[in-house]
Amino acid sequence: MKFFIYIAAVCILGQGATQAIERFDYHVVRKQPATATLEIYEGEFLSVDGKARPQDMRGFGKGWSGNSHLLWDGLVGDSSKVEFEVMKAGKYAVSIQWTMAPDYGQFEVRLNGNLIERKLDLFSPRVDLAKLNKPIVLELQAGIQRMDIKLVSGNVKAKKFRSTGYLYGLDYIKLRDLTPKVARAKELKETAPIIIPEVDFVEAQAIMKQHCFRCHGVDKVKGKINLEVLTSRADVLKQVDLARHAMEVLAKAEMPPEDELQPAKAERVKLASFFNGVIDEYLSVSTRLEPVVMRRLNRYEYSNAVRDLLELRGDIYPLPEKVIRSSEYFDPSTGRMPKAVSVGNRTLGKFQVERQILSGVDPFAIDLQAEHGFNNQGEQLSIPPILLESLLKLGRSIVSAPEFDDYTALSDTLFKEDDQPVVHRLRPFLEKAFRSPVEDKTLARYAAYYSAEQKRTGSHTMAMKSLVGAVLASPKFIYVAEAKHGAGDKTQASDYELAQRLALFLWSSIPDEQLLDSARKSELHQPEILERHVRRMLNDRRSRALAENFARQWLRLDQLITAVPDFDRFQVYYSRIGCEQWKFGLQTMIEPLLLFESVQVEDRSIMLFVDSNYTYRSDELHAWYTKPNAPFGKRGNRSRFNTFTQTFRKRHLSTRREGGLMTTAAILTMTATPLRTSPIKRGAWVATVMFNDPPPPPPDVIPEIEADDAEIEAQGLTIRERLKQHATDQTCASCHARIDPLGFVLESFDPIGRWRENYRGGRDIDTSGKLFGEMEFSDIEDFKDLILDQPEKFMRAFTEHLLSYALGRDLKITDKPAVDRITRRVQADHGRFSTVVVEIAKSIPFRHKTGQAERK
Amino acid sequence: MNILRYKHIPRRTFLRGCGAALSLPFLDLMQGRGAKISAPKRVAFFYTPNGVAQKAWHPKSVGDNFALSPTLKPLEPVRKNISLFTNLDRIKVPGTDGHAQAGACYLSTAAPDDLSPAGYPLKRTIDQVIADTVGKLTPFRSLELSCNSFTDNRESVYFDNISWYGHGHVARSIKDPQKVFRRLFNIKDHQDNASVLDLVRADAKDLQGSLGRMDLHKLEEYLDSVRTVEQQIERITRRQIDVNDLGIEEPEKLWTTMRRDEYIQVMGDLMVLALQTDLTRVSSMMVAPERWDTPLMFEDVFEKPILHHGWTHSQKDQKVLRELEKLDYFHMTQFSRICQKMNAIKEGESTLLDNMLFTYGSGLSSGMLHECTNLPTVIAGSAGGQIITNRHYQHAKGTPIANLWVSIAKAMGCPIDQIGDSTGVLKGFTV
Repeated sequence: MKFFIYIAAVCILGQGATQAIERFDYHVVRKQPATATLEIYEGEFLSVDGKARPQDMRGFGKGWSGNSHLLWDGLVGDSSKVEFEVMKAGKYAVSIQWTMAPDYGQFEVRLNGNLIERKLDLFSPRVDLAKLNKPIVLELQAGIQRMDIKLVSGNVKAKKFRSTGYLYGLDYIKLRDLTPKVARAKELKETAPIIIPEVDFVEAQAIMKQHCFRCHGVDKVKGKINLEVLTSRADVLKQVDLARHAMEVLAKAEMPPEDELQPAKAERVKLASFFNGVIDEYLSVSTRLEPVVMRRLNRYEYSNAVRDLLELRGDIYPLPEKVIRSSEYFDPSTGRMPKAVSVGNRTLGKFQVERQILSGVDPFAIDLQAEHGFNNQGEQLSIPPILLESLLKLGRSIVSAPEFDDYTALSDTLFKEDDQPVVHRLRPFLEKAFRSPVEDKTLARYAAYYSAEQKRTGSHTMAMKSLVGAVLASPKFIYVAEAKHGAGDKTQASDYELAQRLALFLWSSIPDEQLLDSARKSELHQPEILERHVRRMLNDRRSRALAENFARQWLRLDQLITAVPDFDRFQVYYSRIGCEQWKFGLQTMIEPLLLFESVQVEDRSIMLFVDSNYTYRSDELHAWYTKPNAPFGKRGNRSRFNTFTQTFRKRHLSTRREGGLMTTAAILTMTATPLRTSPIKRGAWVATVMFNDPPPPPPDVIPEIEADDAEIEAQGLTIRERLKQHATDQTCASCHARIDPLGFVLESFDPIGRWRENYRGGRDIDTSGKLFGEMEFSDIEDFKDLILDQPEKFMRAFTEHLLSYALGRDLKITDKPAVDRITRRVQADHGRFSTVVVEIAKSIPFRHKTGQAERK
Repeated sequence: MNILRYKHIPRRTFLRGCGAALSLPFLDLMQGRGAKISAPKRVAFFYTPNGVAQKAWHPKSVGDNFALSPTLKPLEPVRKNISLFTNLDRIKVPGTDGHAQAGACYLSTAAPDDLSPAGYPLKRTIDQVIADTVGKLTPFRSLELSCNSFTDNRESVYFDNISWYGHGHVARSIKDPQKVFRRLFNIKDHQDNASVLDLVRADAKDLQGSLGRMDLHKLEEYLDSVRTVEQQIERITRRQIDVNDLGIEEPEKLWTTMRRDEYIQVMGDLMVLALQTDLTRVSSMMVAPERWDTPLMFEDVFEKPILHHGWTHSQKDQKVLRELEKLDYFHMTQFSRICQKMNAIKEGESTLLDNMLFTYGSGLSSGMLHECTNLPTVIAGSAGGQIITNRHYQHAKGTPIANLWVSIAKAMGCPIDQIGDSTGVLKGFTV
């Protein structure tokens, strides 16, 4: 990914800085779900005290919501407390679904102290759902609601549980919001493209002479950049990359360096505008898009493609690429994320395969990410002999796995023995597998292979399986091929090619029948049909791939897996259950992914990645943040750990220190070293991920900083002061001035992401700094506000990341007009997630391809 | 001299019966069956990342029977079989990451003007060039191994591979010993692949007509691989070596649970086995990937997981330097153990090691400044007497290491005169 932070900064400069703007609340952006006013709190996910536990109810019938309820037992006089959280204050109709059974008792129930049931009798001769009570209308405050359920007696007919007490079962609590809705006017006005005044060369040269030539002129050529040799606008036009670079450093106020004479703001704007004008002029004539090299499917895409081609009900093998091993809750068509989700985590052990997989099927080796990109770039996806061997074997082992026949939905069609001519079945299958119309010669070849196998094995099913095994290793299946012969600088992709691009982008898989149908009718390229498909695909569960594949790589979350906070100093990171030790801290990986999924599913604003007023955490993880010294009490939550799943609950955040992605423990931990924070790593992460502005690789000479903050503190320094010593060298200073502040602002979080008021030695933490060399912040809340006040920056960065992922290549300067356009539309829609996706799919680079004839 | 003798390593962790196989030299076995075979020459590479601590590594004396430096001490048991080459340099490629190019460009010494779009000059590496000739005679043209046990995907492919078929086409290494074992010895797996090769090749030919020029290059990789797989099947079927004949069994222990030394030695065993049984004559092994700032445990060497890369940049600190030297010593010990195993395998009058050219090296000399001058280079074996061993050959400053690659290729009977920035052959070789 190459990165350009452009016009926004110029405008900000132009507007004369950061006056207090009334901030838009990005939380109001969301999909309007069909059941917007209903909230269901599943009993099994409620936060409880004491003996209550979830119970699987499938053995008793089908009626239980989520197939489970919350089960409690106790003696007469005992109470239990359950809690749930309400996001906004208001008037609610509350109803509670209970379970009845022969050994259930009679209860007094209070909600926030208000008596709502005097003597609720849950006895019934057989286990069944109670009749849903009449809703009780209550005013609720935002925050935690507490329900006390006291066992007062037992029905005379009831049988005592373990001859001493009684039980209750709670299926769910339902809340209907009775507060009248205020209709919100839909505002969708695209901001007009920014008109930048023309600045001529003479004027620009005068400013450069005064402020730049001393270091970038004939006498001194710092950073190999000499601006004095440019004698006309035409000269600059010939060096468009230099112009772009100049534009960037001016926009971010990186040049001239802080210790040099600073130009007046108006001068800086003028100079930046000049370079911008040159870039625009260049782009008005040079529209050749960067060509994409044909690539193979990566391992994750291969797995999804096989699943969808063979209509399997699960994965073929467990993929470490999938961090969250549960998917039932993910249903974007509902437009809402559940309040609580039960998720398995791949780090919790071998039980974490959510669905059945096929035995004897061995995945091929993982594909590594590009330097600053994603693992879908042709440059690093090749097929050496060992991979071909793996693919050949994989194809065979999938169809011959013992579970295969029950696992595929094609048993009654493709694989079934009957009298239908085989070519009738082969053609649609091959069309789907190869994502293109099937030529007669290809069909004939596969039909011949089938006949030979049929003769050899005497079985249609066997022959067809053998053929499918071959298809899965065919270059037409493995490669993402597009017809480029004769393609020009910007040739429209064919409808089939567009279908393939969409399926890879949104599902990391192959097109489904509906996409193929539109391709067959040659209508997919029509903007409204394209958009309809994109929206349909986003509503499909398969769009989970965006979270699983894109988000994980965008956030570089894999780096957490091998993070090793010091074992002695950060004991909480490591836990022990029985004799098995595991890294509790890896649970933190789920939190940012669930935030991403909630934005995707509820179609919220991407600005929530900067700051959100909610997050998803398990009780244990919540304690880790809120009670850093004794997160698990005496035994407390710790005894409830299990290696199967964890319940992550949506939690309202009361402090703006938290919320968004940057302050999640996962990201703060993986960018620290075992014994201290690393503002450089954190800063580089923020620059790369949040602003798509990765710092250049470090120079060869890197003096290392002490590994243990105790050593630094022993010198009477904070890490910040120590880094300042480090960065005094002029060659280091200009980069560090840019990266470090982005890391300093996170210094108020310790090496595993918990809030701290002071350093361990008692020194104060200085989190202040300047963003883009201009805007001052004092702490993380300020910092988030600065980003929210100029949403264009983050929106552009996110667009660039996602566009690069969609295209499978780095972005180049010729993609700038597309990025500008998408960003404008995203901004007009306050960063709505689906708008980013739809606009990318409709963009010029996504719908076009470039020939490769001119390459050497 | 195999892994089973070393303390701390539980017996029977791996390659059960390996000792037995090693005591029954393959050539004798073949000769016992009436075949007349002279010992073939083999080449292998042992790559250590991030450079070495210079002072402790380089010996002070030159010439015959030179005094081993502290880091080279573990080579004592095989000192008669080794030779040392100093003052060999690699071209530094400006504008690309120092570590990625150290790994990806080490064996090709590709020149800076060969920059690929990814920024790394990826030419065909010398092991693959040699395999083009000597790989024709064995079931596998080459065998690439890696002891990278990191489970995160922190770095890109350039940090993780030293062997390349060419630009953008990596000869990907195998990291799981079980997979290596099955690839070498499970003949049926290979034979089962045969039936669909014609079909997929025809599909590839179909595609050719519509592709762009860069795409065709990619497709050529596929077709190359189809050819290679086909040859492998044919040759391995002809050989019919199978596991029963050798009396060895598949590794049992999961590679991710192995100790560091155990993992390296298991991979070493597999390399030795493949070379000994003439399944291949070309092999390379990366003892760890370049950079990869993820702490790694070295049991019984350091108490806690360590960051090799981080240390190399702070070796001005004497305390850190001592630790780094310990790590270099550990890697040298691993190399020496593999050499000793090779030396224990009799091949007629000589040993497997005698018939090897087994290079220990790194793409950086000192990691501190990403230097590429005076790269640490040890060669074990002499490819049947083509180097006078037990000698330290000090070359003129600035001699390209590419000259070593040319010399090795020639010693292996591979008719090349030039690779990368080479200017000729090295003294010390009798070719």
